Amino acid sequence: MDLFLQTLLNGLLIGGVIATFTIAFQLAFGVLHVIDFAVGGWVVLGGYLGYYITAWLGLDGFIAIPLAFVVFGALGYLIGPMLYNVRNSRTARPELMALALSFGLFTLLRGGMLTAWGFNTRNVTTTLSGESLAIGPVTVPLIRVVAAVFAAAIAGGLFLFLYRTRYGLAIRATAENRHNAALMGVNIGRLSANVYGLYAGITAMAGVLMGAIYSVNPEVGLRYTLFAFFVAVLAGLGSVEGALMAALLLGVIEAFVSTYVGSSYSLLAIFTTLFLVLLISPRGILRRGL
Amino acid sequence: MALLPTNRQWRGLVLFAIIIVVLGVLPWTVNNYWLRIATGALMWAGLACSWNMLGGYAGYINFGQSAFFGLGAYVTAFLMDDPFGLPFSATIPAGMVVTALCAVIIGAPTLRLRGAYFAIATWAFAEVLIQFASAVDFTGGIGGIGLPPYLNERFFYFAMFGTAALTYFLTWALFERSRFGLKVKALRDHEPAAEAMGINTAMVKLQTFVLSAVTASVFGAIFAYWVTFINPKSVFGGDITDQMVVMVLLGGLGTLWGPAIGGVVLFVVNRLIWMYWGDTAFYIAILGTAIVLVVLFLPNGIAGLFARRKNDALDKVLDKLAGSGEGGHP
Repeated sequence: MDLFLQTLLNGLLIGGVIATFTIAFQLAFGVLHVIDFAVGGWVVLGGYLGYYITAWLGLDGFIAIPLAFVVFGALGYLIGPMLYNVRNSRTARPELMALALSFGLFTLLRGGMLTAWGFNTRNVTTTLSGESLAIGPVTVPLIRVVAAVFAAAIAGGLFLFLYRTRYGLAIRATAENRHNAALMGVNIGRLSANVYGLYAGITAMAGVLMGAIYSVNPEVGLRYTLFAFFVAVLAGLGSVEGALMAALLLGVIEAFVSTYVGSSYSLLAIFTTLFLVLLISPRGILRRGL
Repeated sequence: MALLPTNRQWRGLVLFAIIIVVLGVLPWTVNNYWLRIATGALMWAGLACSWNMLGGYAGYINFGQSAFFGLGAYVTAFLMDDPFGLPFSATIPAGMVVTALCAVIIGAPTLRLRGAYFAIATWAFAEVLIQFASAVDFTGGIGGIGLPPYLNERFFYFAMFGTAALTYFLTWALFERSRFGLKVKALRDHEPAAEAMGINTAMVKLQTFVLSAVTASVFGAIFAYWVTFINPKSVFGGDITDQMVVMVLLGGLGTLWGPAIGGVVLFVVNRLIWMYWGDTAFYIAILGTAIVLVVLFLPNGIAGLFARRKNDALDKVLDKLAGSGEGGHP
């Protein structure tokens, strides 16, 4: 029973961190209408920033969180217009070309990181690394709890921004109906660049947290892209509200399969679930997909 | 659908005949090293063509084509291995049937949706197969599975050559010269309009997908027998799909010769890099850069480059004819 509770708690905590970047992923899809394969690349880049902050400057890993937002937000802001232009170009199949572009970006990031940093695994160390927290009969690593708190703060900030500011209103309007939003005076091109930057920044922040909980190497990017797709399919593409639930569910599934079946089966279980959802209820379990 | 070829098509046919003859005598003119490279180039040209059937003609991106390549390879390896010991030729149809079944299972529900869901589903399917083949015992796990060696380079050259030629012939006959091809192109260009014309788009897409998958599985089967040893990474690996995507984008989406051009160019680049730097991660970065640059600056690929130049010349003539009435150029 203790093991069960512990697994459940671990899964929920990890799910919370996954939720931050999948919410941003859904937002970016809603505005840009591009499935971004590069999502895993941003996560890994954030993790590496955290690693270099600790390894070179000797600072605490958490300092990398705001830095990741600034650095990769800016990078995303530069890449966003490319995706937007391809998505809205006059080629025969803009959706397909944009998908290919994001796939190319992902491949480029993965190959570049493998070339620069090799296959070695790196850890983001913080003052909390190695500490653990006992809640009743259950013991969890303290870093997971803190990471989940950070993640909740980031997601909360994002929701406040989306629902309490005028610019957030513009973003939601664009996600709902870009044509009407444009008629209301929203500059869709610039807003898309901003949203992609926001998404890249948030994803990189989640990457720092992921690097602190697990570890990071260029190949794990694939895994996070899969996580984002899993959540997107379960929640329905573009559904921000469903993403939180689906991410928590993903964390729990992963934790239970790793604990009770074996960690080599966890990806298989996730893929199979993703696949079954696509077969049975392709617009997401909530049927909210675009 | 004229029965007699036009002048331009005659030229194409002559070119095709020359290529066939040159490739046919190649095994007797080069050494084994170059023969292996030629065999690989033919395989990749054929694989790129198989991806192009769905990606180029129907407009649905399949990010898991390696799954079907790997299925063909694994079925052949499994059936030629100890308990069965079937001959090579008998394993190919088995691989085709298994692949076709898998393609129907994945394609039937997801091809009705937006292309994005289909892309995710195929990508996920390929990753499932990697994980599955690594985890279970009967595939040999991560260690892989060996095949009885057959050391006859010319046999493999002609097997790849024949399959590739058949693939290109099928593509030409089905997608360039038949009503089926018109249906496929119609649904790519405007799906609701194609449906309104009475085309059963779901069926046409599924048929194209199955054809594309089965073609890849045949190449997989020959590849497995050729290299005599396969493991999950070597036949299901994502970079196999990456390469096909780059080849088709580079050569030109939805053209007959684009995949062949892109396939040969990229495979030669691949071998050159391999020769000078060995098996390097740098190649992945090059693939990514190639995709990004082609999408941004060359969306019609190399084949589009030639087509556009031809059109430009034609446009100029038309402009001159139209302009002559208005006083001409200064």
